[in-house]
Amino acid sequence: MEEVLSSRSSSRTSVFHRSCFAMHTRFSMVLVGIDPERAEALAIEAEYELRAQERMMSRFDVEGPVSDLNRRAVNSAVQPAQELWQILSMCRDYWNRTRGAFDITLWPLNHLWREHLERGEEPPEEAIAQARRLAGFERVHFDETAQSIRFQSEGMSIDLGGFGKGFALESLAGILRAQGVEQAFLSFGESSITVLGSHPHGPAWPVGITSMFNPGQTVHTFYLHDASLSSSGTAPFNRMAGPRAVGQIINPRTGRPIEGYRTMSVASPSGVEAEVLSTALLVTPRHERVELLSGFSITSAVEIVYHSTSGEFAPEIEWQYGS
Amino acid sequence: MDPDLSSSSVLIGREHRRDFLKRLALVVGSSSLLAEMPWWSPLRAAPVSDSPADRVRIGLIGVGSRGNVHLAHLLRTPGVEIAALCDDYEPHLQAGLAKVKGAKGFSDYRQMLDMPGLDGVLIATPLYLHARMCLDAFSAGKNVFCEKSLAYTIEECQAIADAHRGSNKVFQIGHQRMFSPVFLRAYELVRNGTIGPVTQIRAYWHRNNNWRRPVPSPDLERRINWRLYRAYSCGLMTELASHHMQVANWYLGAYPISCAGFGSINYWKDGREVYDNVNLVYRYANGTSVVYDSMISNKFYGMEIQVMGPRGTIEAERGRIYSENPPPPAGIVQLINGIEHGFFDTVPIGGPSWVPDLKKDVSGDPLVDEKITDDGTALELAAYANSIRQGKPIPGMMEQACRAGVCVLMGETAMEQQKEIAWPEGFRI
Repeated sequence: MEEVLSSRSSSRTSVFHRSCFAMHTRFSMVLVGIDPERAEALAIEAEYELRAQERMMSRFDVEGPVSDLNRRAVNSAVQPAQELWQILSMCRDYWNRTRGAFDITLWPLNHLWREHLERGEEPPEEAIAQARRLAGFERVHFDETAQSIRFQSEGMSIDLGGFGKGFALESLAGILRAQGVEQAFLSFGESSITVLGSHPHGPAWPVGITSMFNPGQTVHTFYLHDASLSSSGTAPFNRMAGPRAVGQIINPRTGRPIEGYRTMSVASPSGVEAEVLSTALLVTPRHERVELLSGFSITSAVEIVYHSTSGEFAPEIEWQYGS
Repeated sequence: MDPDLSSSSVLIGREHRRDFLKRLALVVGSSSLLAEMPWWSPLRAAPVSDSPADRVRIGLIGVGSRGNVHLAHLLRTPGVEIAALCDDYEPHLQAGLAKVKGAKGFSDYRQMLDMPGLDGVLIATPLYLHARMCLDAFSAGKNVFCEKSLAYTIEECQAIADAHRGSNKVFQIGHQRMFSPVFLRAYELVRNGTIGPVTQIRAYWHRNNNWRRPVPSPDLERRINWRLYRAYSCGLMTELASHHMQVANWYLGAYPISCAGFGSINYWKDGREVYDNVNLVYRYANGTSVVYDSMISNKFYGMEIQVMGPRGTIEAERGRIYSENPPPPAGIVQLINGIEHGFFDTVPIGGPSWVPDLKKDVSGDPLVDEKITDDGTALELAAYANSIRQGKPIPGMMEQACRAGVCVLMGETAMEQQKEIAWPEGFRI
């Protein structure tokens, strides 16, 4: 951003910043120690890359490949382009490795709950049972030979949501590294973060998870070095947005959203795995979590739960893993 | 469109209008750019009482479509008496007189100008009549409010400016956006560099109708549908484009050095003589362009004026501003400051994404928070009345009127002659 650049003096560390809207949230990029002109060129390249990723993975782009798949994969097997096929295969792999806790087919349930919760009510049991029959990765058939995909029933659909952000961050980080960038902070709406190297004045990038009811209170600090951090969770209905649940997480085992206000933040060397695990851990019972994590290169995870005492919500770390 | 004009509601309307004007005086007073918009100064005048000493007596020339809008506003403007109405079309005159108790009726405006005690006129007639009516009114020593566009030819624009220069009378033009708080705010943001230097202005006015008014008998066609005939009007240019060209010139603080464009009748081939679509580019000395188009066979895009710079876009009609690069979230700002000043600070983040922030930013931000229903018409009339009362011309007004008026006539000529037309050298305001 011009203001940041022009305000620095020679004694200061040069910082370049750019924010833009992508993947239905705000993307921010902070580069350190890069010549302004090069940084500007990198920002343009980054934005171009994000648009391409968004086109490939967004379910909201009616002309995009995911919409195409969601429309056509019911009646016939669809062959997505190579890259999307690989992403969907990765998602299936993660679904297996998380024992079904990470699932990109929960849209019908998400949609049903959102619709009813906006009216302040729960959906009827019959509707939940019906939506559950339209969700579940076991109902997506992969043909390895033809590299094609087919849904078992009409009404099913795929939503790459958070996974897409993790995937985009990883590919962006790769591009920046290849261009010789050593220190960078990349963020999607602060819920998905990837850093390169360390903070210019310390051994890592310190990222503090603050209370969602009291932004001044840091509940836990992660120290990231060449790593990613993803947070998933439920948040209170927001007055500004009207009656709308933000960050609703469906538990695929029950077909119901997880209860209470809670967040799971996961740091990992892989942006995609941080994304997968922040959701998967949240819906996995605590006694099964450590076993689930054994196959992942995770470094640490923190679950924060907000308990209400006399109307005030106070954060508490209820579960923690790793350093 | 016409409000209830019974006498009690007029009084209530006036009280309401007085409050409205008081509130707006605060808005106006708080603007740091008053010196650049001197035409707002009359609105800072002391509140008006209903005493005869404060009363300004106005005569309306033309009580058709636009004339009636003014009439309704004037009935609610504090300290204004509508003393006379003039229209050479009898049904309009009678309908007007029925709304204003005690006003004198005229079919010839020259007789109205002879009426004793008349302070000013408001001209809302077909374009080709503007110049002669303005000139006659100045000759008769009257203050003048003239509807846009200023005049039918560039020579007539010059004649009006010349006549006004020596008169010491108030002149006001019906470009109401000059008095719109939303457009004022947009101007402030343009001038304070919020969107960076203006690199292009794009404006358009699209409708989807034949632009005709119902005609009671065929012999009245040309009188009632005067906007469709070249002898009386320049069609879309003078009747619509003049508004956005006025705003463009105002925001750029300049007039164009030349323009080029094309127009045609490509859909409403019903005997009309003015283009049903116009497409123009205006060139300014600093390298900025204003791209303008208007059509009446598609309304999907409606109307807008978009002011663009490297940091953002302002859509003044919608009253919104869009940032080219959204500002960083608070946590990132803290991070940047920390790095710059050598601190090893924690970046605070709030957990799951907050969707609402995003929604607000992608759809832009409102230019003014308060819902303002006046498009500037009420204020331009209040400014006119106040100026007459103070006996002081409205500063800068003739310049705005001439620049916009000449601009659209340049455009019309460019399209008719199919060549680039330069700003008239030696034009003097």
